[in-house]
Amino acid sequence: MTTATFQWLTLVTLTALTFSVAETGLSGSSILIPVLLATLLKGRLVIDRFMALQGVSGPWRWVVLGWLLLVLGLIAYTFLYS
Amino acid sequence: MWFFILAELLVFGVFFLAYAFARMRNVELFNASQLELDRISGAINTILLISGSYFVVRAVDQIRHDRSRACAHWLIAAMACGGTFLILKLVEFGAKFEAGINMSTNTFFMFYLGLGFFHFMHVILGMVILGAVALKAWKGGYSASNYGGVETGAAYWHMVDLVWIVLFPLIYILN
Repeated sequence: MTTATFQWLTLVTLTALTFSVAETGLSGSSILIPVLLATLLKGRLVIDRFMALQGVSGPWRWVVLGWLLLVLGLIAYTFLYS
Repeated sequence: MWFFILAELLVFGVFFLAYAFARMRNVELFNASQLELDRISGAINTILLISGSYFVVRAVDQIRHDRSRACAHWLIAAMACGGTFLILKLVEFGAKFEAGINMSTNTFFMFYLGLGFFHFMHVILGMVILGAVALKAWKGGYSASNYGGVETGAAYWHMVDLVWIVLFPLIYILN
């Protein structure tokens, strides 16, 4: 199995886990934290491995990762304080 | 291309946060409306875009080994994933319109349909880019020493995937 295939299977598994958590009917922070963590992991896999930004010189990786962290962080804030 | 991708991410980021902050003032409405969504369709579409991204990674790997026809084949597979995504999305939107739901139904559906359509257009653009790259690869226009175009097209497609990875839990899952 290639590394990319393993990464694809990881992404599929995380998607299935996210879907399964939603199907349990959980809500609030009990669903927020695991789902956002899975999303962060999936996003990082796409940025670092599929986009191949890990190890690239220049600010690109940190800008894209920063975008992901900022968006997910603010989403978490709005859901926790609503 | 990276400036273009970052600009796209910024626009999507603003829309995501607009949704999240709008939800803060209408939690019950957003939670009730979210129950109307087809979560299975959203999950399948996530798998399709993730798989499309994987196929694009394989395409880049093939051109690095100077296999331009194999590169084109993987790109066509990625486009097939994108095409299936579009069909499922049209079915999903069609079901909503048949149920009398549109952008003016409420704030949640304004975001759901607006964000979904905006992303839909990006999938189409991504497919057009991949199609152009696949055609050039098929004609032998890229090689192991000259494949910048393949990487550029791949980066755009991964951006479309990355945006959906955030959009799916935000709209379909979190409540």
